Amino acid sequence: MTPPMVSPPAPVLSPRRQMLRRALRHRGLIFSSIVLGLIVLIAVFAPLLAPYDPYKQSLIARMKPPVYLGGTWKYPLGTDALGRDMLSRLIYGARVSLMIGLVSAGLSAVIGTVMGISAGYFGGRVDRFVQYLINVRLAMPVILVALATVSLLGGSMFIIMIVMGLLLWDRFAVVLRSATMQVRAMEYIEAAEMLGARQSRILWKEILPNVSSHLIVIFTLEMAHAIILEAGLSFLGLGVQPPTPSWGLMISEGKEMLLFDSWLIMIPGIALFLLVFSINMFGDGIRDVTAPEGRN
Amino acid sequence: MAALVALTVSIISFALIYMAGDPAVALAGENATPDVVAQIRAQYGYDRPLPVQYLDWLAHALRGDFGTSPYFRLPVSELIADRLEVTMILGVLGISFALLVGVPMGVLAAMRPNSLIDRAALFIAVVGQAIPSFWFGLILIVLFAVNLGWLPASGADSWKGFVLPTIVLGYYATPAIMRLTRAGMIEVLGSDYIRTARAKGVKPRKILFKHALRNAVIPVVSLAAVQMGFMLGGSIVTESVFALHGAGYLAWQSISRNDLPTMQALILIFSLFYIFFTFLADVLNAWLDPRLRK
Amino acid sequence: MKPITRLLGCAAIALAMPGAVFAGKADDTVTVAFTRELDNADTYFSSARESTVFGYSVFDPLVERDPKTGEWVGNLAESFTWVDDLTLEFVLRQGVKFHNGDDFTADDVVYTYSHFSDPATGVAMPNTVAWIAGVEKLDPYKVRVKLKAPFPAALDYVESALPIYPAAYYQKVGSAGFAQKPVGTGPYAVGSIDPGRGFTLKAFDGYHAGSSKSKAAIGTVVVRSIPDVNTQIAELFSGSLDFMWNVPEDQAQKIKAKGGYTVTSAPTVRFGYISMDVSGRTGFEPFKDQRVREAVYHAIDRAAIRDAFFAPEAVLTNSVCNPMQFGCDQNVKTYDYDPEKSKALLKEAGYEKGFEVPFFAYRDRQSAEAMIQMLAEVGITANMNYLKYAALAEKVLKSEVPMSFMTWGSGSILDVSASTSKFFDGSAIDDVKNPDLTALLKTGDTTTDPAKRKEAYSKALNIIADGAYWVPLWAYTANYVMSPDLDFAPTPDEYVRFFEMNWK
Repeated sequence: MTPPMVSPPAPVLSPRRQMLRRALRHRGLIFSSIVLGLIVLIAVFAPLLAPYDPYKQSLIARMKPPVYLGGTWKYPLGTDALGRDMLSRLIYGARVSLMIGLVSAGLSAVIGTVMGISAGYFGGRVDRFVQYLINVRLAMPVILVALATVSLLGGSMFIIMIVMGLLLWDRFAVVLRSATMQVRAMEYIEAAEMLGARQSRILWKEILPNVSSHLIVIFTLEMAHAIILEAGLSFLGLGVQPPTPSWGLMISEGKEMLLFDSWLIMIPGIALFLLVFSINMFGDGIRDVTAPEGRN
Repeated sequence: MAALVALTVSIISFALIYMAGDPAVALAGENATPDVVAQIRAQYGYDRPLPVQYLDWLAHALRGDFGTSPYFRLPVSELIADRLEVTMILGVLGISFALLVGVPMGVLAAMRPNSLIDRAALFIAVVGQAIPSFWFGLILIVLFAVNLGWLPASGADSWKGFVLPTIVLGYYATPAIMRLTRAGMIEVLGSDYIRTARAKGVKPRKILFKHALRNAVIPVVSLAAVQMGFMLGGSIVTESVFALHGAGYLAWQSISRNDLPTMQALILIFSLFYIFFTFLADVLNAWLDPRLRK
Repeated sequence: MKPITRLLGCAAIALAMPGAVFAGKADDTVTVAFTRELDNADTYFSSARESTVFGYSVFDPLVERDPKTGEWVGNLAESFTWVDDLTLEFVLRQGVKFHNGDDFTADDVVYTYSHFSDPATGVAMPNTVAWIAGVEKLDPYKVRVKLKAPFPAALDYVESALPIYPAAYYQKVGSAGFAQKPVGTGPYAVGSIDPGRGFTLKAFDGYHAGSSKSKAAIGTVVVRSIPDVNTQIAELFSGSLDFMWNVPEDQAQKIKAKGGYTVTSAPTVRFGYISMDVSGRTGFEPFKDQRVREAVYHAIDRAAIRDAFFAPEAVLTNSVCNPMQFGCDQNVKTYDYDPEKSKALLKEAGYEKGFEVPFFAYRDRQSAEAMIQMLAEVGITANMNYLKYAALAEKVLKSEVPMSFMTWGSGSILDVSASTSKFFDGSAIDDVKNPDLTALLKTGDTTTDPAKRKEAYSKALNIIADGAYWVPLWAYTANYVMSPDLDFAPTPDEYVRFFEMNWK
């Protein structure tokens, strides 16, 4: 490890305010926050924003082109192969994709954090066991295992979130393990131990807050990972069940007409890209802001 | 450790895949009656207790015998050996692509941290990570195979068939390699001995390539080895988009037709590959890094 | 840097592989795409359509149905006679040779029929050979096949399920060896087989004249497995593919609109239906009530779904069989699309607020989604469970499927004994378990008099329709897309006779 570089002197400001200041200057962070904020708003207010019921089919108005390809304003982004309004599905799809990302990454975070912090704090046998679990997990090809499990249990959204949650915890565990080791070596932890503080209290009050910036960064990465993975599962025919308006499923459905009506995959593809892109950028931004010296 | 991991993975994959469906039903086909299914179940030994089936399978697997694929009626080992070639070629090409793009980008970015080039490289990296590979693959097909007609849309009949799949498989690993190269270069370029070399008047080009890159690339090599392990498992999507009949595609097909022996063998083999490449990464690291060598 | 140079070395080797082979009229090679793969070239061990198509060009049956007239004509047999209800006699053609030069004789027929009808052999579809009691050689060119019970559809299975293998060669190489290098008497000999990827066929010069099949017109047939239909179309557009089969309607229409390619559709034996658990075998109660089943039937706008997703030639059916099949009476009760009536019936049955039901499907996802929407409009919440066929078949066996959108291909057999009779046979998978219905179908399956068979089947189909047990949907058509140079007339049996392809 390289010794941290010297931070610019700013003795007047508290660390929290320093961070806020850096955040406001970080263009990527601002941009991604705006995009993410918009997507979240769209997801929350989907029923108010969507012009149609996203499940409402019209078999006589199938595959109408979007307005920029000569369509009408009746369906601004056109309709899909079942005559459903693409815009409405896109709007509701934001809910599905965000939910999948949040729940899967959340579950992974819980599993990975518990493992990583225990390994880093207790060391010894616990550490070896956790490392062993991490190695087993890494050795299993994620897509294959996810496909096999989903083909068994059926592709309900709940099952997909659980399966991904159970598969994507490795990075949390790896990073939090080493972060915890570093924090544990700090003097104040030793001091707390000497003073007889309970272990649970140390873990919860001292360790966790100190590794939380890592947690947030990994969380964004894995959230993006989960969203892309779900799209991939949908593409291979084992994702969420139709008619759920998931962006991944929309791409998979539009794939049929790829060579003729490519907008059917371009529109949800771009939405998915924007979401994942801004989540990743947000994560990068958080890392830059919380650990400016470690930017690399 | 590696052996224990491999053993655990074999148990998990065995249990997992067994749950993925009743293989006898899959084998019986569309016009099957229940008694036909029962007959097939007995014929292939699917009616024995699971632990017995597992141990039997493991004992054979250790001798390189993964049984016979009920779907193809061919030895699984033969089937996989045949398919692995495409996947291996694709993996090697993919990682080469990632290195050929990622390393120079990382070096360029590191030469001028926070410059326009650096920002552009980082931006490309984030963009790359956000594009779903199947979507990217489909768009490349539309562009290069259909609209321009330069490259075939599918198949492994010639080197041309590998161009698009290589890009699709490789681009996903590129950002990680780029970032690691960049970080390594920045660290090395800031180190004392490079400063000394500079002070001594060694040519900048020589410093960059002979001293800095050499050291910065050490972690990249081991990352590449690990990425290669991931790639082999991740080539399922790429192989199915481009109709490359490799091991990844075989795995996907085996899931959908409950071809149990093939499925189990593939999960185990992909895992072993990963374990092997991780091990290789450690060895490479020790070999390349003078600090670790002694 | 050394490992990197080594990696690059590998890359260079990979790049130096041989160049692409282009196909087409110029080198007398037709390239065909299969969506799925040829699972086993020993076709007795496959239940896939792909292997039937493969086998049809490489092997010959004793007799076959002329696809144009529907009459039985001889192939490896010159003639056949029903000696009695339980005995079929075949007079074999002389001077026929297998691709490896062996002569075809009664021994080949005796071996093929007795080996594959032996339950110990374990063929993929046992019911296609289970009717054979035995086979005896009368002289080198005359055989008798004994039936276990009267089975009027026997000849259909002689055609579709019993290709003749060379006895001596098969015994020598075994099933696995045969699958790698199959030998038959058909119009095409196997050039090479690349398991899972495709195969190559070469025209067989010595094909026996007088066969009901024609000699192959095109020198080489290359079949490639390309799972994604878009990739197939991309290959078609770039000129490296000449023939596609089973192209979805939307894509077929787009290719047609683009111009330059021949797009035709032909009927197939496959048909669709919505199954309902009438007997409550899955523990699901509502479908026990006839009014609920009628409500489902009234709720589905079959014509609208057909118009949206299938060719206009895909006829709506009134019975759960294909109208082309023998005994498939279409003159039965139907229930018009009428959502209001559907709602009224549900109300009457006590489901004014509707109910929830798991709805299973394995293909034509868009049609399934449209059905779900139509059911939702009358208050039935059908929850989609879209599975792979193997997984769905398992759930059917385990009685976990109260409602499904299914299709049935009947193995291309043009007889109701291969469709409706299989659904309501009184076994564990029978959704209805009506003894009268099962008995009538059994009568139809085992009576030799065609008129009596028709009568029995008609009664059975009327029971099904009157009880609104299941919802019959449509008979499928298949779209064929060909390069402009290629001439081919598809047939309803979907055998894709490569030997009838010609260059224009």
